[in-house]
Amino acid sequence: MAQSASAPVDAGRASRRARRGDRAAARREGATEELGRRAVELSRFYAGKVETVPKVPVRSLRDFALWYTPGVAEVSRTIQADPDESFELTGRWNTIAIVTDGSRVLGLGDIGPEAALPVMEGKALLFKWLGGVDAVPLPIRTRSPDELIATVERLAPAFGGVNLEDIASPKCFGILEELQRRLPIPVWHDDQLGTAAATIAGLLNALTLTHRNVRETRTVLLGAGAANIATARLLLALGHDPRKLTLVDQKGVLHADRPDLDELELHNPWKFRIALKTNGGGRSGDLAAALEGADVLLAASTPDPNTVRGEHLRRMAPGPIVFALANPVPEIWPDAATAAGAAIVATGRSDFPNQVNNSLIFPAVFRGVLDARARSIPDEVVLAAARELARHAEDRGLSATHLLPTMEETEVFPHVAAAAADAAVAKGLARHRLTHDEYLERARVRMGRSARLVRALLRSRLTPKMPRARAVVPGGSS
Amino acid sequence: MTAAGEGSAPGAGEPHSMPVHLRPAKPTDIPALVPLLVRLKRLNEEFDPLLRVRDDAEGQAREVLKTSIADPKAVVLAAEGVGADKDKVVGLVLAVIRERPFYSPPVEGVILEIYLLPLYRRHGVGEYLLKETTAALKAKGAAVVIAEFPSQNEIASRFYAKRGFRPIIVRQARSL
Repeated sequence: MAQSASAPVDAGRASRRARRGDRAAARREGATEELGRRAVELSRFYAGKVETVPKVPVRSLRDFALWYTPGVAEVSRTIQADPDESFELTGRWNTIAIVTDGSRVLGLGDIGPEAALPVMEGKALLFKWLGGVDAVPLPIRTRSPDELIATVERLAPAFGGVNLEDIASPKCFGILEELQRRLPIPVWHDDQLGTAAATIAGLLNALTLTHRNVRETRTVLLGAGAANIATARLLLALGHDPRKLTLVDQKGVLHADRPDLDELELHNPWKFRIALKTNGGGRSGDLAAALEGADVLLAASTPDPNTVRGEHLRRMAPGPIVFALANPVPEIWPDAATAAGAAIVATGRSDFPNQVNNSLIFPAVFRGVLDARARSIPDEVVLAAARELARHAEDRGLSATHLLPTMEETEVFPHVAAAAADAAVAKGLARHRLTHDEYLERARVRMGRSARLVRALLRSRLTPKMPRARAVVPGGSS
Repeated sequence: MTAAGEGSAPGAGEPHSMPVHLRPAKPTDIPALVPLLVRLKRLNEEFDPLLRVRDDAEGQAREVLKTSIADPKAVVLAAEGVGADKDKVVGLVLAVIRERPFYSPPVEGVILEIYLLPLYRRHGVGEYLLKETTAALKAKGAAVVIAEFPSQNEIASRFYAKRGFRPIIVRQARSL
């Protein structure tokens, strides 16, 4: 294990690394531009990414006497007598809304609902491909949290769950809390819960690897946005000592004596509550002061490789754990973190080891809660999913470069789904109470079906083959 | 006045677990009270541009506190921490007695400022402060208690509404 007091990297090596880093960054930028061009071409060619496909046989128009009127009236009466039957007799059980106001989309910021649509379509595709979940992209034109809440509440009868996406902090906290309170279905905000759950899964394994335990660990969270506020809450739920938990934002350590706290109580009561609960973990000052002797740094802040510097990490306890999760560029490059003594480094990127990726969490969690027809999705379900994900990496053999399963280890997902469903049952929230093995089997079938479906559509040419770059026929796929 | 709660004995009804202890403010408390009053005014700044805090706010706060502590028609209370925080001033209350020449009852007590450092909020502390302040105002003859705060301050609105307060006078403003 590397020590935090390791010899400083000499200037020559550092500048060579910087030059290599610059070249790599330029290459990555070029590749990103090329991907962008190609994505526009293909979006024009396919004219969108998802569509509605019938799931019942239609042999002739006569079958509509069953699927539609007059037969369907009896189905309606059954649901009228017991609205929960809508989870059995319609596609509601497997259908979720992907709701956004377009106020904080990817790294693009406040781009509005129409511009958010391709991102939500992409998310719907991920939900289907990885989780077998039918997801409907729903960008909503409003800036008001109350209007968004009212709109989603009115749409809820059509859905078995709601995934909130790319909504700015801090309004995302109130929207999630209020919808979770009002709706009889699971409501999730991926930028909070998905990221926090994946982070916690990786952290649990990093703690195991470095012989630490969550109750005695001193942790610094850099960035106090959607992800880290949720991570802080879940860490406290896991038994992390609030006196050893320090949040740091642009103004430094978040503690109860900070002059902006009154303003926070007004505008961001979630951050305010964490400030009171942790009171800076007994610290004040800047990031450097926060990191003194800390075991863990979880950074979810500014995409700039100089946000965290080697000298910051050298102040940490020996063999520290460093998660630099900003995308597309981590707060410190992994090699710089390792050179500064980090024992374990994770990022949000797939081109480095230990990718903390919310795609490891959200399709499986929804698979699980939908199969359980859950009424909500409390933190216990989120933590159960995180623990299961961690356990699977452990089964495969933990190492400093294998903290979490990769996206290729798809056999993990049904297990995470079943763990989420079990947790919903344990909390008394499941409309469908099944055994663990039954949930696992259902998840395997549903998740496997999507890939088969996509392949079958391609084989039959119902989905046209992907055109070569720049050989695109305009006007959609028909 | 030199004591806020003559006859009302602030502290007497203090629940055992309360993280603060309330007592009449003394002139020697002024250095500790000034930053609290300024923090409250800075919070008010959030609600309306006409509540922008002046550069000389600290001096003004010192003057207002000095005058009020000496004024028998004012109630100035200091909230101290307990246990390890004993002797640390963590909050303040400033209220005044006003005549009501046209209305009955003829005397009202107006709570102008209540501020507590964030760490000492909740746990029913606000309730305790309000109760003690109301008792002190009543002891000075008030038969109505009025709270003044920026109309956009929803936290204050909710706090008072929950305790039976209702809007009776509206103050509207525009720049000239």
